Amino acid sequence: MIRFRAMRIAVRLALLAIALLPAPALAGANKDRGQDEVGPGPDEGPSYFGVVLDTAGKPVDDARVTATSRDGLAMTTRSNAAGAYSLPGFNKRINAEEVKIACAKPGYRQVRVVRRPAQSGRPLRAVETECRLQKS
Amino acid sequence: MPAAKVLAALALAAAAGSAWTEGEVLRYGQALSAHKSIYSLPVALAEREGLFRREGIDLRIVIPIPGGTDRMIDALHDDTVDVTHVATPFLVRAALDGSDAVAIAAEFNDPIYSLVARPEIHRIADLKGRVVGMADPGGSIAFSMRKLLALHGILESDVRMKTIDGTPARLRCLRGGGCDAVPLGQPHDLQAQAEGYRLLGISNEAVPEYLYTVSATRRSWAAANSELVVRYVRALAASFAMMREPARRSAVVAAIVDITAVPPGIAERVLDLYAQPGRKALPLRGEIDPKGLAQVIAFMAEAGQIRSPLPDAERFIDRSYLARAGVR
Repeated sequence: MIRFRAMRIAVRLALLAIALLPAPALAGANKDRGQDEVGPGPDEGPSYFGVVLDTAGKPVDDARVTATSRDGLAMTTRSNAAGAYSLPGFNKRINAEEVKIACAKPGYRQVRVVRRPAQSGRPLRAVETECRLQKS
Repeated sequence: MPAAKVLAALALAAAAGSAWTEGEVLRYGQALSAHKSIYSLPVALAEREGLFRREGIDLRIVIPIPGGTDRMIDALHDDTVDVTHVATPFLVRAALDGSDAVAIAAEFNDPIYSLVARPEIHRIADLKGRVVGMADPGGSIAFSMRKLLALHGILESDVRMKTIDGTPARLRCLRGGGCDAVPLGQPHDLQAQAEGYRLLGISNEAVPEYLYTVSATRRSWAAANSELVVRYVRALAASFAMMREPARRSAVVAAIVDITAVPPGIAERVLDLYAQPGRKALPLRGEIDPKGLAQVIAFMAEAGQIRSPLPDAERFIDRSYLARAGVR
């Protein structure tokens, strides 16, 4: 139980570190080769990060995580061994409140997506969600 | 007919109408860089102007993260997308490694990269001993710039090359004084010139024929969804046609402004540049020029990325969907 709690704390700390990374660092993580690269600019809205867990609270790796804006534009990535994922922001014109996060993995079904509330009074820099998958 | 049956029939008709309005979903892959660059114009314009909807397609743009045009073929194979935007060297490399990915329409032919320098530098020959901020050495931009420099008597060893990915980053290097000259795409090249930097030459001087980016899909997926692929390329063809219609110019300018966040005046100049006689940046209707792709293959061989005997360009192209969409 203690080990499990420690693991969850470690995951949360890792996620916090991702969220606090400056924009250029995130741009580096999404380094784009082969064609012209355009990093995050002043027009970019909040980024998205979080974790994919199973119903027992264990991290699920290699789950596909997709952020979809209201007009259908989607960004997709995979969770890592700690179940963590991060995605850059959409254009500022896209309301982050209307961006849906979904996770999927063969053999699982999504049961819940919990969005952590933003801290009031502070500009929204990143949106954190926890996505739960259940073995089907 | 009883009222209940009439109502049921109306409800069914409404549902069918709504399904048609929404259309058949097609997941189109785009690198994050491409999404924000002028190279997304053909698809972005088609989407804005309802050309996909007209073909009964609900186009969903999907941006894989981590991205990069070198990962777009992977996105076809892991079922992230159905059709993808991709720079041709990556398609060729993937196909040679066993992928069944194939080009179904051209998106950008010969891109225009401007070699822009500090105001006190007047000619390419003046770059001897100077710092040139260059793109990925194995990519299309570096290929064409090396050719341009050579055309003006400058070898790679004559200048100090500094690899900087991305037009915005190279422009920052120029503005910050870390680079004496850099290749820039649109619209940043025009912005730089407006700020007083000097245009030394353009890539097309050295590389008049090229196939830069295409729409690609897997042969197996296209065969199973051939009608959808035909409708997709028909919508894309209509987008290219629209770019050349004087009456639709304001819509095209608005799309460029929206994508690249430049003032309308710069967007107008980008469009004028592409419309100049002899420029082949944009295909007429998405047609694929195998000579342009052969040039890509030759450059890849020159850079040591592929070995002789060089593959035939036709191996990486399937023009049957363009033909069925009425594009020759």
